[in-house]
Amino acid sequence: MKRHTILKRLTLYTALIIFSVFFINGEAGAKVNVVTSVPDFASIAREIGGDKVDVISLAKGYQDPHFVDAKPIYITKLNRADLLIYNGLDLELGWLPLLVTGARNSRISTLNAEGNVDASVFITNILDLPTGPIDRSMGDVHPRGNPHYMLDPRNGIPVAKGIAEKLSEADPENASYYEANYESFARLLNMKIKEWDEELAPYKGTEMVSYHKNLEYLSEWAGFKEIGFIEPKPGIPPTPSHVAELIKKMKSMDVKLVIVSNYYPQKTPSIIAEQTGAVFLSIPTQVGGQDGIDTYFDLFDAIVGEITGALKDQKGAANHSASGTDG
Amino acid sequence: MDFTRIILILAIFLATSPFFQSDAFGQESDDVKTEIQELKQMMEKMQQRITELEEKNKALEQRAQEKEEVKEKIVVEEETEVIPAAPREPQSFLGRVAQALNPEISVIALITPAYYSLNNPVVFAENDPENTGVNVQEIEVGFQSVVDPYFRFDSFFSFSIEGVELEEAYATTLFSMPLNSQFRIGRARAKFGRINQLHRHSQNFVTLPIVAAEFLGEHLNPTSIEANFLVPVPWYMELSASGGSPDVETPTFQRSPDANNVGNLLYIFHMANFFDVSDSLGVSLGASFATGSNASGPDERSNLYGVDFFAKYRPLRNNPYQEVSVQSEFIWRQAETPEEELEDYGFYAEAIYRFAKRWNTGVRFDLTDTNTPITEEDEEEAGIEQAGLSQVVRQDEEEEEGMLGLLGRAYRISPMLTFSPSEFSRIKLEYDYLNQNYGPDQHAVFLQFMYSIGAHGAHPY
Repeated sequence: MKRHTILKRLTLYTALIIFSVFFINGEAGAKVNVVTSVPDFASIAREIGGDKVDVISLAKGYQDPHFVDAKPIYITKLNRADLLIYNGLDLELGWLPLLVTGARNSRISTLNAEGNVDASVFITNILDLPTGPIDRSMGDVHPRGNPHYMLDPRNGIPVAKGIAEKLSEADPENASYYEANYESFARLLNMKIKEWDEELAPYKGTEMVSYHKNLEYLSEWAGFKEIGFIEPKPGIPPTPSHVAELIKKMKSMDVKLVIVSNYYPQKTPSIIAEQTGAVFLSIPTQVGGQDGIDTYFDLFDAIVGEITGALKDQKGAANHSASGTDG
Repeated sequence: MDFTRIILILAIFLATSPFFQSDAFGQESDDVKTEIQELKQMMEKMQQRITELEEKNKALEQRAQEKEEVKEKIVVEEETEVIPAAPREPQSFLGRVAQALNPEISVIALITPAYYSLNNPVVFAENDPENTGVNVQEIEVGFQSVVDPYFRFDSFFSFSIEGVELEEAYATTLFSMPLNSQFRIGRARAKFGRINQLHRHSQNFVTLPIVAAEFLGEHLNPTSIEANFLVPVPWYMELSASGGSPDVETPTFQRSPDANNVGNLLYIFHMANFFDVSDSLGVSLGASFATGSNASGPDERSNLYGVDFFAKYRPLRNNPYQEVSVQSEFIWRQAETPEEELEDYGFYAEAIYRFAKRWNTGVRFDLTDTNTPITEEDEEEAGIEQAGLSQVVRQDEEEEEGMLGLLGRAYRISPMLTFSPSEFSRIKLEYDYLNQNYGPDQHAVFLQFMYSIGAHGAHPY
């Protein structure tokens, strides 16, 4: 008898606790809750939203955005989101859809929902759009084009504009604030792009090798030529025969630059660079990809800095050795 | 009669003749051409309009920034150069196909050469390889899509040599509801423990753990209505409750002879927790409870109590494709029969180490045991009694699906090695050593091939 009353009381208390917890959540935050799939968008959303928004990114900048674990904790974050900003073009195909379904959030749950923002719709020149028939014998191809468009800083501007518009829709009261922040962001980014362009200008036409087809936008912007990839096909890790072939190709074409996202394996690329006498650069390719890279500007400062630094040294060394043999 | 038939055939012939087709096709491409032409014109007009606007804008900005430096002005011009939108490329045929309103279709095949040391191999689960030889474990065909802004629908059909099973077909609500609830309506792998929610091709081993096979059947997938609640705690917690028909293939739960008693339906409760211990380490803890009639009598019930544990360590920074995961489940079954109360239990524990992007290896230990072993005699008796009791038809089913209760203790050790050429194919080599205290030992070797075509499914955590 006594036992029963204790049990009853216990159930009652548990029920009370659970329900109180449910309702505590009810209070509405004044700030716009922005969740982004990858950190580049989070950085831009912070620039545009300032103190009127709370921004978090699900994936980390030092993480391969193709292979993010769909941790259930992300569902709780998406559940409270007013805006979900994601890369699209199937980049997050393996992990984001399940989370969005689990989020139970009308604002983001379908493509048509007002808070569901596929940032790729703001981009006008998408690279690697398949022109012929495709299938997976070509590796893990992206049928809707190359998704790594944020590595061309010029794409930061339309994305920022789109984010500003979406924030204004979600929070019309502060529309002019977002608009103004966008203006200054675009102005600053244009100024920086000009600087970076100048820094990169002497190296236009440099031939390079990368790991995965994720630097296409970067090399297009910088005017580099990608002559090969360490992956034999997208998503397939390097095989010895492919590496041997690549080394041969690099030697015959005298390619002296290997650039790899720092979330890819570093060993094979560095060996390839060593064997061909090329410079090996492991660069951050997302905001947060390295300590100290907290904004979209930091990211390209770092990328451009590393590339030009390495190429300058190389040029210097080449000149030096050339003059050395002359003398 | 004959005349109309001739006309009909003629009409069909003409309609399918290349002449008509090519004509129709030509017209369509003409249509597309004119459309493109129109689009181009529109684009040109828009381009014009944009340049006009830009000029206006430039003028305005110049006025506004008169005081600023010359350098800044150049930047503004630069900005207007950067922003204008290059016309989007006209959508390709592929693009249109991809955007058609068809559901996403996927086919995943598990084909498994097997060798068993016993002539009559001991096989626990329906989709385990059946015999020495090459086995089709399962061909899973999936159709998935959103229905409308409010629901999505997921369906999976499991084909085998014997026939088709409706593995899952359920709607999920997508809209916000009070208490952060979400409903699943239809036939679905129930939220009971962990492995029950994983499709065969997502599981780490060729054979299903004995405990899951004995207590849950191949999978516990009742047709039901399930409510899931996301509890707002600092970690992730989901509470689930479902009620539905016991149309599952396990002796644990069967439709009661007293079938109109709602209390005799199958009810399943689950609590899932996930702790994001660090960026690299995630831990899941869950508890499950299922109760329903087992059909050994009008009011005889089975209760399943389960706990599950899963932890994954994946360092994000340095070894991007290496990870270690540990998964374990314990299930206790209490089953009432007219004669006695059966108490059976079992667990499995597996550890997986992915040491390269395409390779992983692991080992599993699984065991089932019972406090109330049934003897072969009991089994026969029960079979006869059941037949005498009411349903002769049921007896056949029962025999095929096995009896309620366990004969004794069985344990199994299974090491495996997996190579995945790509994300869409996989080859798994597994050895199973089975030890039973009521029968002979068994050795088995499997080489499982997995192929996946069609839509790229998301990976459950």
